[in-house]
Amino acid sequence: MGPLVFRQMLRERRRGMLWWSLAVAALTLITGASYPAVRDAGEGLDQFMESMPEGVLEMMGATDGITSPAGYLNSQFHSNIFPIVLLIFGISVAAWAVAGSEREGTLESLLANPVHRWRVGVERFAGAAVLLAGLALIATALLVAFRSPFELDELGVGEMIAAGVGALLLALLFTAITYASGAATGSKGWAIAAGAGLATATYVVYGLSSFVDLLDSVRWISPWYWFLSPSPLREGWTFEAIGVPLLVTIPVVIIGTVVFTRRDLT
Amino acid sequence: MNEVPLIEIDHLTKRFGALTAVDALDLHVRAGEVYGLLGPNGAGKTTAIRSLMGFINPSRGRVRVLDGQPRDLDIRRRVGYVGGDVTFERNLRVQTLLTWYARLRGGPSWAEINELCEQLSLDPSRKIGQLSTGNRQKVAIVQAFMHEPDVLVLDEPTSGLDPLLQRSVLGLVRQRREDGAGVLFSSHLLPEVEDIADRIGILRRGVLVREDTIANIREIARQRLELRFADDIPEGLFDGVDGISSLEITGRTAHIVVDGSVAPLIDTVAGHGVERVVTHDEDLEDIFFGYYQDPDDEPAADRAVPGGPATHGQDSEVA
Repeated sequence: MGPLVFRQMLRERRRGMLWWSLAVAALTLITGASYPAVRDAGEGLDQFMESMPEGVLEMMGATDGITSPAGYLNSQFHSNIFPIVLLIFGISVAAWAVAGSEREGTLESLLANPVHRWRVGVERFAGAAVLLAGLALIATALLVAFRSPFELDELGVGEMIAAGVGALLLALLFTAITYASGAATGSKGWAIAAGAGLATATYVVYGLSSFVDLLDSVRWISPWYWFLSPSPLREGWTFEAIGVPLLVTIPVVIIGTVVFTRRDLT
Repeated sequence: MNEVPLIEIDHLTKRFGALTAVDALDLHVRAGEVYGLLGPNGAGKTTAIRSLMGFINPSRGRVRVLDGQPRDLDIRRRVGYVGGDVTFERNLRVQTLLTWYARLRGGPSWAEINELCEQLSLDPSRKIGQLSTGNRQKVAIVQAFMHEPDVLVLDEPTSGLDPLLQRSVLGLVRQRREDGAGVLFSSHLLPEVEDIADRIGILRRGVLVREDTIANIREIARQRLELRFADDIPEGLFDGVDGISSLEITGRTAHIVVDGSVAPLIDTVAGHGVERVVTHDEDLEDIFFGYYQDPDDEPAADRAVPGGPATHGQDSEVA
C-alpha cells in the first residue's frame, strides 16, 4: 500500500515547507552576497580577529579568519545560523510526529486503522528527515550555484556539499532525539525539552570548551564539535561530521520507536 | 455463524498508578449483537474500549477481537472505531481524510464513502477544523462505518448529534447488526442504548455491576410519570393499581413511580380527565441509581438528574 503516512505528512506540510524554503533561501543569499564586502573590508578585520583569544574565535567558527571564503561561511553561516534554523524546523516537526499528534488526538484515530505503530513513527521521522534535507539542499544548492557572483570560487563544490550534509546531519541528530523522546513518552513537552535542551547544552559545551578545562575534556561528546572541528568546508567529508551523527541517530530512532510500540497511548 | 464471540474481554484489569480504572471485566459480544455499555463518565467505559482497541495494555486479563489480537492488521481492517474524545487533522478536508483512511484499509471507493456522507448530510469538501461539533462527529461516524466492519467499537458515538442524526446513526448500527456484525456501544444516554442494545452491561467504577438482556432490564425498569388532571383527583383512585411503587399528590398533579409496565395505571386513569402526561424519558436511569446510590458517590454534573423528589443528592448528604 506504499508509505501512505509519509505521503500524507508531506502533503499536509507543503505550504509550511514553502515558507521555510523561502526563508532559508533568503538567509543563504543575503549571507553569500555579503561576502565580497566583508572580504574587501579586508585585512584590518583579520588583524582585529587575530587579536582575539583563540577560544572566542573557535566559538565563532572563525579560527581561519573571516575573510577567506571558508572562514567567512563557517563563522557566518555553517557554524551557527544555518544549523540552528534547521534545528528549529526539525525539532518542531519531530515533536509533532508522535507526541504532538497524540496530544491533538489525531494519532489515536490514525492508529485505529490497519497500520502498525512502528510504521507511523518511522514514516513520520522519515518525513521530517526528507523535509529537513530539502531545506539543507536549498541552501547548499544556492551557495554552489552562486559561488562565482559571490566570489566564493576558492571553495570546492565537494566541500560545500559536505558542509551542507554535515549541518543536515547535526540537525537530524537533534531531530531524532526529539522524535524518540516524544515517541517514548507521549509528551510533546519532554520531546522539545530533550531535543532543544541537548542541542543548546552541547553547543555551550563546545563553545566554552576552549576556556574551561572541564568542558574541554568532555567536548568530544558534543555533536557541534564533531561537525565543526575540523570544518567540512576545509576538510570535506570527515568521519566526525558525517559518520558519527549517523551512528547516534539510527539507534536513537530505533529505541524511541520500539518503546512507542509497547507503551500505552496517553 | 461463528461460535466464537466477536469481542472477548476476559478478566480485564487496567490500573493507572494507584487508580484501578477497570477491574476484572468480563464482557463478550456475539455476532449480530449490540452490547450497550452504560456508565457515567469516569466509570471505565473508555478505558475498557481503549484496551480492546490495543491503544493501552491491560494490567491483567486479555482482550480478543474476531478471535485474534486487536493490533493485528488483518483484524483491524475489519474493525470500525469511534473514539470518545478523538479528533482528526483540522487542516484536512473531510474528503482528504476519508480517502486517506480508506486507502490505509484497502477500503471502500469514494462513491461508497460519499453516499454515506450524503446520508448523514455531511459536506466532504469542508475543512475539518471549520466544522461544528456535530459535523465533526459525523466524520467520526462515516470513517467508522464506511468499510462495513464486522466489529464496531463505539464510544459515545452520538454525542453532539441532534436527535434526528442520532436516529440515523442508530439506523446504521442496526444495519451492521443485520449483516452479522458485533457492536460494542458505550453511552451514558440511557434511552439511546435501550433503543439499540440486545444486552446491556452497567459499569460502576470499573466493575460490571449488572449485565442483562434489554427485555429483563425493561421488566424491572422504573418509570416516573407526572399526571395532570383537569379536576381534583378522586380519592383512592390509585389504590391497588399494579406496579406503583411511590405516589405523591400535589393539587391536581400526581407524581408516580411505576416498576415495570404502566398499562394497569393507564387503564385506571382512563376516563378521569388526564390533561397532561409528563414522563422523564429516563426509565433506565433508575436502574442506574439502584447501582449507583452510594454514600460517597458525587452526583456527576453532566448526568441528567431525575425529575421529582431529589432523592439521590439528599441521600448523599444524609449519609
